[in-house]
Amino acid sequence: MNHTLNLTIEKVEGAIIRTLGLIERRGFSVTSIDARANEGDQEMELVIQFTGTGRPAEVLARQIDKLFDVKSVHLVPTKAPAVAPAESMAC
Amino acid sequence: MKGAQLLVKALEQQGVDYVFGYPGGAIMPVYDALIDSPIRHILARHEQGAVLAADGYARVTGRPGVCMATSGPGATNLVTGIANAYMDSVPVVAITGQVPTAVMGTDAFQEVDIFGVTMPIVKHSFIVRRVEDIPRVLSEAFHIATDGRPGPVLVDLPKDVANTEAKMAPVFGMKARQAPTADPEQLRIARGLIEAADRPVLYGGGGIVIANAVDAFREYARASRIPVVTTLKGLGAVPTRDENFMGMLGMHGNRAANRAVQESDLLICVGARFDDRATGRLDGFAPRARVIHMDIDPSEIGKLRHADAALLGDLAVSLAAMPTELYVDNWRVWCAERRREHAWRYDAPGEDIYVPDLLRKVSEAAPDMVIACDVGQHQMWVAQHCHFNRPQQHLTSAGLGTMGYGIPAGIGAQLARPEARVLTVTGDGSIMMNLQELQTIRRYELPLKILLVDNASLGMVRQWQELFHSERYSEVDLSDNPDFVEVAKSFGIPAFRITRRAEVDGAIQRLLETEGPVLAHVCIDPKTNVWPLVPPGQTNDTMMEELSA
Repeated sequence: MNHTLNLTIEKVEGAIIRTLGLIERRGFSVTSIDARANEGDQEMELVIQFTGTGRPAEVLARQIDKLFDVKSVHLVPTKAPAVAPAESMAC
Repeated sequence: MKGAQLLVKALEQQGVDYVFGYPGGAIMPVYDALIDSPIRHILARHEQGAVLAADGYARVTGRPGVCMATSGPGATNLVTGIANAYMDSVPVVAITGQVPTAVMGTDAFQEVDIFGVTMPIVKHSFIVRRVEDIPRVLSEAFHIATDGRPGPVLVDLPKDVANTEAKMAPVFGMKARQAPTADPEQLRIARGLIEAADRPVLYGGGGIVIANAVDAFREYARASRIPVVTTLKGLGAVPTRDENFMGMLGMHGNRAANRAVQESDLLICVGARFDDRATGRLDGFAPRARVIHMDIDPSEIGKLRHADAALLGDLAVSLAAMPTELYVDNWRVWCAERRREHAWRYDAPGEDIYVPDLLRKVSEAAPDMVIACDVGQHQMWVAQHCHFNRPQQHLTSAGLGTMGYGIPAGIGAQLARPEARVLTVTGDGSIMMNLQELQTIRRYELPLKILLVDNASLGMVRQWQELFHSERYSEVDLSDNPDFVEVAKSFGIPAFRITRRAEVDGAIQRLLETEGPVLAHVCIDPKTNVWPLVPPGQTNDTMMEELSA
């Protein structure tokens, strides 16, 4: 399912890669990114579209919100609810 | 004042008394500044030993553990310990030297992008590119490491920044933030769930001690008389002899604990995270239970299990708001019966040393002892059979399962609490992962006791190969181990060996009564397994017991 996140992040070293890395590491796949610095060059606005395998995107949004470089997170609501996959043991 | 001195001053202002580390080229300015500081530097013999000792120190004190390494290999050697702290939510501040900013990104000698390498395993990280940022960054690093759900923070300091003269000195104070309190509507829902429950279970995790909520948890468990199970990290949240305590749940948990959870109609999860080693197959975990999830970390809510009520905030405040008048006597009786039915037995036949009984006796002989554990079969035996009166007595690498944790963690704990008796329980596989830290014990004359359980094999992997790989043993035979008694003695640590059950009582006495460090080498049957066991991919209803008595 496709999701869209609107993010404002501080324009500091590592902030973009930290955010994108988290999305992929938590099992989602980025399909589109729009990123631009604001006028004062202090912050960046990101619009990220991504697909998931059924894990809840709301949990991902909360995980992103914990990053210290992230100022705000808005997950654009989608109509269909996420369907949790059958999780299995790690090993 | 140079940047390196500013950094050391910042550490002093944070109240740091110990730094665990290892010097090298890029961090030399900081080591120079340390000479003039009251901070005591503990020289590990490998950077992994340093960071794991900082982890053990942090778990015992509740204050951040600080470690330090140089750039490149020094920094990469910290990675396992940083990941360990991340998985177990331990406040660690790791400071790495870095090559000068002018050559960063040129593949300079001993250059590694440790900021990039550690990004997935830190709570936050910084590269300090301007000397004037040092006070702010250090202040933020300590704040972030301890605030809310704790975790490791990396500060990468290029050598030229460390050598730059700074004009200013003031260091910001720590920002104090009150933990949020749970939403009143969610509290109301949670109260309703508890009042309606017939078979409630308290499922306590490592978050209880991290949140300083042990007293509140005990008070709620005592007042409500709801049966308690804990995770590996939650052990000691109630004393393990408490009449409400069912045991540890999960893969190597107590059968009574797992049965109570599987039968429950309400799980009150307090500072735990539905880890796969605790839940077994997730879709069959506590299948009839509603869930109240209490945590400080919003991203844990609904991550693996839907929460019918999510109480985000201070655990103690949430617990105090829960009802205690419950009419669930039938359930209490059923749980008490299961507790009796599945109590551990120590009457193993034969003359070989029975490790569960040995560990039970050790912990009974020294009830206040801190036990730092390594990883493997002995770790599970410690969790099952040692008694803990408080969680800080039990240091274990739960989330990452880091073999080699036990000795460094014991060192950190012993330095943090020099008056306490500290025991490292290790295995013949694990001890070899950080064997060099025996020299750190010697160097600082630490009275750390070491119980080495030797089955001449990589026991847990061997057990899985026996059970799940048709006894096809692959690279688990460690019978070519060195003579551990001679090894310990060569490090200047007294050591002795036992091989028979009749020697156990004497060995415990010798271990605990020896002044200074001592290593007891306990040889056991290589075929000994840990029971019970929930096979991977199964629900916690499926607990394998010993196949042959």
